[in-house]
Amino acid sequence: MRMSLNRDSIAAILLLAACGGLAVASFDIREPDYGQLSPAAWPRLIVGILAFLSLIYLVQSLRQGPDEADPEAPRGLGALFAHWRNVIWCFVLFGAYLLAIPYVGMLVGGIVFVFALLTALGGLRAILLHAVIAIVTVGGMWLIFSYGLQVLLPRGEWTGF
Amino acid sequence: MIWDNLALAFAEIANLQTILLMISGVGVGLLAGSIPGFTIAMAVVLTLPFTFSMPPAQGLATMISVLVGGLSGGLMSGILTGIPGTPSSVATTFDGFPMARGGEPGFALGLGVWSSFCGGMISATMLVLFAPQLARIGLEFQPWDFFMLVIFALTVTASLAGANLVKGLIAGAMGLLARTVGEDEAVGVGRFDFGSDYLLSGFDFIAVLIGLFAFSQLLSDVRDPEAAKRSLTDRGGVRVRIEHRRAIRELLKRWTVVIRSALIGVFTGILPGAGGSIANILAYDQAKKASKEPEKFGEGHPEGIIAPETSNNAVEGGALTPLMALGIPGDVTAAIILGALLIHDIVPSPSFIAEEPVLAYSIFIAFFAANFIMLGMQTVMLRVFVLVTRIRMYMLAAVILGFASIGVFALNNVDDDMWTLFWFGLLGFGMRQLGFPLAPMILGVVLGNIAELNLSRALAIDTDLTLFVTRPWAMFFSIVAIFSAVFPWFQAARARGARWTGFYAPAMLTALTLPLSQMDGWFRPILAVAAFGLGCLLAWRAYGRAKTA
Repeated sequence: MRMSLNRDSIAAILLLAACGGLAVASFDIREPDYGQLSPAAWPRLIVGILAFLSLIYLVQSLRQGPDEADPEAPRGLGALFAHWRNVIWCFVLFGAYLLAIPYVGMLVGGIVFVFALLTALGGLRAILLHAVIAIVTVGGMWLIFSYGLQVLLPRGEWTGF
Repeated sequence: MIWDNLALAFAEIANLQTILLMISGVGVGLLAGSIPGFTIAMAVVLTLPFTFSMPPAQGLATMISVLVGGLSGGLMSGILTGIPGTPSSVATTFDGFPMARGGEPGFALGLGVWSSFCGGMISATMLVLFAPQLARIGLEFQPWDFFMLVIFALTVTASLAGANLVKGLIAGAMGLLARTVGEDEAVGVGRFDFGSDYLLSGFDFIAVLIGLFAFSQLLSDVRDPEAAKRSLTDRGGVRVRIEHRRAIRELLKRWTVVIRSALIGVFTGILPGAGGSIANILAYDQAKKASKEPEKFGEGHPEGIIAPETSNNAVEGGALTPLMALGIPGDVTAAIILGALLIHDIVPSPSFIAEEPVLAYSIFIAFFAANFIMLGMQTVMLRVFVLVTRIRMYMLAAVILGFASIGVFALNNVDDDMWTLFWFGLLGFGMRQLGFPLAPMILGVVLGNIAELNLSRALAIDTDLTLFVTRPWAMFFSIVAIFSAVFPWFQAARARGARWTGFYAPAMLTALTLPLSQMDGWFRPILAVAAFGLGCLLAWRAYGRAKTA
């Protein structure tokens, strides 16, 4: 039987490694002197089951053999970036937005995030439309939550609102 | 007493503010359902942050309206563009699109709208009738039974992943694991916090749901740069007048299809994890098999629209039944409704209907009312739908991501919840790419605490572990869980014509005889005898077939 790694086997190995890490971490859970079920018992049971399932997953994936060669699959770093470009933009911009919120607040941060994401995904051609969409939608939501639902949305250290 | 509660519940729903919110909810649901790539669950989960400051009945009525609208929205795009708005309306396109292309879009839409309405009403009626009965049975459940019920729910949901059963089970276990992070609810001990305050406070499960479902779905929708810039249709304005009268006449003529499809929908909905995406195909298939003119299916046959649209709207009444009766959601959207109840400190359980009758009846009333609103809104939303379909996908995705972050923050006024959205969005996207079903994970996240709490209670009462498989209801759920775990192999083997598959149903029926015969009352022991008799009969027939083959 031919066995070689494919993306499922890599995922299974990662899962097994995570289970190992969590199993070790479960011994750091404090054991109180009261209660019938130890706080560590349930997580350990799940980690055990997950490890067992991951092992089956690994065996199944190894028996499948290597991933079938897809002629349209991206090759090289540049092609890989082009393939996942939009997803990367979404994560990078969303992460940057979350990091910026304490400084610029949710209103400014949200508008800049939506505008930047629109432009990253849709290109520079409709930049004015993107700006209008960002201001109207995020501004509208901010007003609804701040004044309609009385939610105190995060204020920026630099902007003050 | 019932009438008093009903009157109070009616007052909760029948006020201008709630009705306006419900109209908006149905409208949003219709639009969300009509846009391919935007699931109903996504629409419902994104509505949740708006409802947390509302009174419980009003918030739930709004969410139910989005849900009912979403269930019906898929038919618009399915019939007019041939692209199903949601997986629940895939089968509607088989005959809806050919009928519309053949020059009868108004009739096709009329059939879809009225079938959806009938499905919703039948399902709402069954919810009202069944939920209290099921809750009465649920009062017999002890912690061992509840624990096994959760295990059964997770196993069934995972088994629906078909060939990917192991991935489904892994997803379910990951959901349970995600819920263990943070302070243990029973004794307040920190788990898997690695010294971080963020992890010690645990993941807010609504943020997890939005991340897993909405965030990861949006990323999948915009992954292809070219597709992201495309709109659903570049066609000009579609001028269609829905043919209501003709559609009603057709439905009355084909009432058996309506009833059968509604029943398929309700019972599919009751099964944990099985939703409209399965029900619509199943109902279509049954309608075709029962039809006198099956050869006309796929060319614009009315029953090809009636069956899937009735069944997919009937699903939610089924899915809400175990939620209201037992606190166990029947599908992802019901899990989100459970989240909405928990936000208002209401924990659904078998005593929910008895303890919170006004809220329970408000849900029933809202379900009925939302179906009437949906009927009236379809014509209006048809025009808006045409406009929405011209919006590029990336625009919707960017705006919704921005909104999701605000909504998630608003749940608890905690910045960390937005990071939870981010991390679980990343995880959900990775899982989608690797072919993991997300429904078991969502149920795992939702049911994790219920399972642990009942395990803890059970062991506090008695440390005997055999009770998890020997008590009648626990045994019942164990048996069904085992058979549902084997189901994917059964399906594959049946397709190959394996002989043992003939004994699957008889074996299950015979095995269920044991717990049923131990239950109280006279009905269930009689049911046990009937199950045993039927099991033996089916086994004998399967043996006969195997012998002659």
